[in-house]
Amino acid sequence: MIFTSFNFLIFFPIVIIIFFLFPQKYRWHFLLFASYFFYINLKPVYALLLAGVTLITYIFTRLIDNPKFANHKKSLLVVNIILALLPLFFFKYYNFVNQSVFTFLDYMGIRWQLPQINFILPIGISFYTFMALGYSIDVYNEEIHAEKSFGIVALFLSFFPLVLSGPIERAPNMFPQFKGRLLFNYYKIIKGLQWILWGYFMKLVVADRIAIYVHAIFTNISNHNGKSLFVGTLLYPIQVYADLGGYSLIAIGCAKVMGIEVMQNFNRPFFATSMSEFWRRWHISLISWLTDYIYTPLAFNLRRYKIWGIVIALLLTFFLSGLWHGATITFMVWGTIQGIFLSIEALTNKRKKNFVKKYKLHQRGWYLFICSLFTYFLFAFSEIFGGATESVSQGFLVIKKIFTNFSGPIWYENPSMILISLSAIFILFFVELKTEYFPGKFSFFNNENWVVRFLSYGFLITIILLIGVFDGGQFIYFQF
Amino acid sequence: MPTRLLTFKNNIYARFLLKLISLFLLVFILDFIIGGLLNRFYFTQESGNLFRTTYSFEHTSEDLLVFGSSTANHDYPSEIFQKRLKLSTYNVGRDGTSIFYDYALLQSILKRYSPKIIILNFDLDEFKKTSESYDRISSLLPYYRRHPEIRPIVELKSPYEKIKLFSKIYPYNSLFFSILAGNAEFNKKRRQDYQGYVPLTKIWGESLHSTKYKYQELDSNKIKIYKAFIHDCIAARVKLYVVCAPFFVNFENRSNSVMVGENIANEYRVKYFDFSGDPSILNKPSLFADMSHLNRKGAEIYSNKIIDKIINEESQEVSSQKR
Repeated sequence: MIFTSFNFLIFFPIVIIIFFLFPQKYRWHFLLFASYFFYINLKPVYALLLAGVTLITYIFTRLIDNPKFANHKKSLLVVNIILALLPLFFFKYYNFVNQSVFTFLDYMGIRWQLPQINFILPIGISFYTFMALGYSIDVYNEEIHAEKSFGIVALFLSFFPLVLSGPIERAPNMFPQFKGRLLFNYYKIIKGLQWILWGYFMKLVVADRIAIYVHAIFTNISNHNGKSLFVGTLLYPIQVYADLGGYSLIAIGCAKVMGIEVMQNFNRPFFATSMSEFWRRWHISLISWLTDYIYTPLAFNLRRYKIWGIVIALLLTFFLSGLWHGATITFMVWGTIQGIFLSIEALTNKRKKNFVKKYKLHQRGWYLFICSLFTYFLFAFSEIFGGATESVSQGFLVIKKIFTNFSGPIWYENPSMILISLSAIFILFFVELKTEYFPGKFSFFNNENWVVRFLSYGFLITIILLIGVFDGGQFIYFQF
Repeated sequence: MPTRLLTFKNNIYARFLLKLISLFLLVFILDFIIGGLLNRFYFTQESGNLFRTTYSFEHTSEDLLVFGSSTANHDYPSEIFQKRLKLSTYNVGRDGTSIFYDYALLQSILKRYSPKIIILNFDLDEFKKTSESYDRISSLLPYYRRHPEIRPIVELKSPYEKIKLFSKIYPYNSLFFSILAGNAEFNKKRRQDYQGYVPLTKIWGESLHSTKYKYQELDSNKIKIYKAFIHDCIAARVKLYVVCAPFFVNFENRSNSVMVGENIANEYRVKYFDFSGDPSILNKPSLFADMSHLNRKGAEIYSNKIIDKIINEESQEVSSQKR
């Protein structure tokens, strides 16, 4: 069951009605039941895996937090991390490592290979594993006490709005909410439903519409000219943003309807004026997780190397981020490119700041616009290796064609497809621009006049019915 | 102590419910009005793909009809069949469709009349199991209300299709600009059709390569519908020819779809012509527009080959009847 399926449109209202009919103190129990029902609906056997990771996390966090084992805290954490990562490694990285070892040994003249595994990656495994690891590390760092109730830990890791694609939440934010009073809050419900509606617009109207074009271009690179590939390259980040951003909004909205606050995952990333700012606005839950549990400890340990310590920490963190996205060389290249961009910015940051300050460029619209555009181009080109193409050689072919074969017309299936895609992108960017630069002005969903509010909802639903793609694929981030 | 009455104003549940109902009502009205307008303008189109589909469903009266997907639409020029066979011809093929669309269309046509000849273009992966084929049943949605005979096919798309079709806009999803263009004058010149046939003018520049056809999982629904198509043609005394068009790859083996398709045709004693590997066409890349479609020149040569076969078949049949 995915958010865009008809099943979910039946599942969610039923869950909400039963949830609020339950006595307040038992609501989280029902939520746990609903979450497992939701996950089992995808593939029952994978729920066992989720339960396994939950059990490991529960047992080890209890041990880590137990004063009796204070001297073995570190070892317990290491074992916990290894055990929690095992399923992820097995399903996501085993084939890749096996193939890499085989290639290396083959190069050395030794033929030795373990059998390949042909299981489908359990949806959400990268997300709930990171949530579990975060919780264990938080207990180790004494930022939170180990939760005594197994059910609460199970709900944290299986909470149905988040289990498939995040946001990657933290235990200190979620546990108190699950254990607290989950009440019917009219304003939270309205806000949650607004986010769900906008999330559906982003996913069905923008992401899936652009996906048709991008898919047609990147699955047939050799038959397209540089101009079409360039358009595909520019559109792909918008597709990914609308896909994961839309999914996140639906997830956050669903949680909010039940009175649970979940962290934002995106903050209008295409208005970022530098790559470092971009990464503070894009997939925030993942980046903040990586920052807290990998980058910061690394940078701290490497502090004697000064700025170069930061550069190494950045490169390693984003290399791991690439690896998290997928066990392929393309994602490693993608992660390394991000690390290089950020390292260059870290190395030139002081000079750039002085220059901007001297000419007061930060007050000039044209400068900010050029910076945003430049950041977008950098990210779009890096995304050629971030899922747009299937191999590094294909990625380089795209770049080569863009720079050497720019003649000929831009490919499109029919003018209607282009017009619909452009209309969808226009609406998205109009709303983003308004929220970024004119917050509080020209409000639609939050207008004081109920007529404007209602008409906004009505028109958005109508637009989704009119130009949404109802037969689109799954969410891009399900593959991670 | 004064008791606080549970009035509408302080009852948040009632307030929320009322607003939800009001929103549903608003969406219902918008859906009704916009969907109604789209419905009206969908059927007033005078050109384009959608117009040809409506013509195929509701107005055809030709003796010979060509069924199939894009290959059918671009490889079979109607006027050549009309000229040589002396039968009025219309090409009802539509891009991106499958046997589901063909069968729905056949049922609507047979409700009105029985054509003399039907040519069903059979794609190399006709029975391949893909979700895309089910998604593309959406091209039938505008006809769901007007043509009850196609409903079982539409409902193959998903078990919720009946519910989704409560919406008046849903059948016209993504068609807004196409409907607008179909009602505009300029559209007539854009991609003109000739009795349904849309010619391609490009010339394929690549050279022929050989490969093995990979085994494909077949869709039992498609096979069932294909059998029903043949059965209904025979029952309506329509002469059916199943034809596999040239494909610009030299396959070392036959696709399992083609083998199953041919066996079923033989079971029903329906003629099956396989031109997919015809060397006289495959050796000339200039006859192709792309790997799976012939250009205008290629379509003419190919169609004449089919007509020769049909004439040959007809004369053999006449002579056997005389005997």
